[in-house]
Amino acid sequence: MVVLVVAALAGWLPARPSGQIIYDRGATVRQPRAPAWLREKLNMRPMTTPRTPWGEPDFRGSWGTEEVTSDSIERIEDWLDPATPPTETFIVDTVDGKVPYQPWAAAERTKMRMGLSRGWPGEAGPPMHMDPQSYCVTGIPRITWRDPWLVQQSPGYVHVNIGWGHYYRTIPTDGRRIDLDPSVKLWMGLSRGRWDGDSLVVEVSNLNGKVWFDSYANFHSDRATMTERWTQVRTEQPDGTDRVSIDWSVRVDDPSVFTQPWTMNLPLRRKTPEEIWEHACHEGNERLLEGVKTHGFRWFGGIAPPPADATR
Amino acid sequence: MAHRAGWLVVLIAVAAGGVVAMSVPAAGQAAAPAFTPRRTWDGQPDLQGIWQTANTAAWNIEDHHGELGVPAGRGVVIGGDLPYQPWALARRNEHRVHRRTADPESKCLLPGVPRATYMPFPFRIVQSATQITMFYEYAHATRNIFLNSEHPKGPIEWWMGDSRGRWEGNSLVVDVVHFTDRTWLDRSGNFHSDALHVVERYTPTDATHLMYEARIEDPKVFTRPWTMRMPLYKRQEANMELLEYECALYLLEAELTK
Repeated sequence: MVVLVVAALAGWLPARPSGQIIYDRGATVRQPRAPAWLREKLNMRPMTTPRTPWGEPDFRGSWGTEEVTSDSIERIEDWLDPATPPTETFIVDTVDGKVPYQPWAAAERTKMRMGLSRGWPGEAGPPMHMDPQSYCVTGIPRITWRDPWLVQQSPGYVHVNIGWGHYYRTIPTDGRRIDLDPSVKLWMGLSRGRWDGDSLVVEVSNLNGKVWFDSYANFHSDRATMTERWTQVRTEQPDGTDRVSIDWSVRVDDPSVFTQPWTMNLPLRRKTPEEIWEHACHEGNERLLEGVKTHGFRWFGGIAPPPADATR
Repeated sequence: MAHRAGWLVVLIAVAAGGVVAMSVPAAGQAAAPAFTPRRTWDGQPDLQGIWQTANTAAWNIEDHHGELGVPAGRGVVIGGDLPYQPWALARRNEHRVHRRTADPESKCLLPGVPRATYMPFPFRIVQSATQITMFYEYAHATRNIFLNSEHPKGPIEWWMGDSRGRWEGNSLVVDVVHFTDRTWLDRSGNFHSDALHVVERYTPTDATHLMYEARIEDPKVFTRPWTMRMPLYKRQEANMELLEYECALYLLEAELTK
């Protein structure tokens, strides 16, 4: 009962989801992510990236990932519920496609998963943390697969406008330094961009570590930095037509949490332009606080890595 | 000789005074001679950049004295006090008494229009052929002002309303409808109903100033439409950028960790 009430409060109730798709288990294959994209990129065709009138590579328009249901960045082996089919991983450069946690960090993730209380496998513990997204939070890089992006550009800037939670990113493209004191910690971090040929490279710093990568308690610390790369590519489709996508990748660097840097890689497809309408997330969430307190969930304030010399 | 030089001094003084006076017209004065702004690549007057008000409208849009934490200020309402209906004036005064908890800003709810313009936070204007986007630092609120298009059919209740824009000369004119009644107009209890209809005008008066006007029409609350007017100043710092004000998360964190 607790699980159902909490799930309803957070909008996860799978039996009657609003806006979710119930899949035909027999017909649906594993949902494609990074491995499928790597295969598709084997059929790349030459393309010239268009330019804006002022001469910067032109990324303007609506772009989005394909259907992202569970948003787990690691592979999901089997159906979790009728709305959550098995998926491939987002991760391309660890051999097993899994997040390369240090042992202490893997243990933290397991603890947090047990406390998610959604009734999915491995969540047998008492309530611990809710996915921060339940509090109308997104972050880098999770904003990439949250909702379609409307990309606007003005000279020297790329602006990413998403409807969900009325979030936006302002990315200067002039290669300016990261000049914000490291003590300043932001939910969306600080983005600094530069052009590398036709690709946009974005360094993200000053993160506060309070946002997850997905709803599965995959996390990083406030010492993480991330490097995104956006490149327009043209690939040949099985039916012989061409398709232009943004080849989007992010490398995550956080030596206090992971054993190595690791990279996620997904395509952003062109989406039919639609007006972005208001999503007043916090305003609609006013009852959440009562539910959170009643059921004993605690605020996720980030995880401090243990001191390097913890053995002493 | 001295006589001619005297006239020349007077002429220069008048001309200089005239130029200074005309750069930022105050409320009630005649409109400035037209300033010709640069154009965007789409051919629109270029209003892009980071803007902010420098008045006390966030606290109170009418004339007000100071109190602890609140600077005194002149009202931004043209013609004086707000033309409330009698019941609404009583409601406003009740709001004022309870403003510390009744003000939706105290719960970090979206500020609505026109309040978003004069919150004490900067905002950025970005223009494209099909829409003009206002990116506010406060709660990362956004307004998508769609050009050459109609309001969707109601009834719709949005906190920031539905904005449709067009150009009249160098002025961006934005028509805003489809509001909730949950937002206030300032921190002093001034309010509106869901019948609110706002018409904004953003007019560049020189390279670093816009004149902002908002005509408020709300037949459920006011006896007639009224207009507010204030300058918007372009932020000049070389390293100026919007940072974060995740108001609701600061509140949530405080609530859940106490």
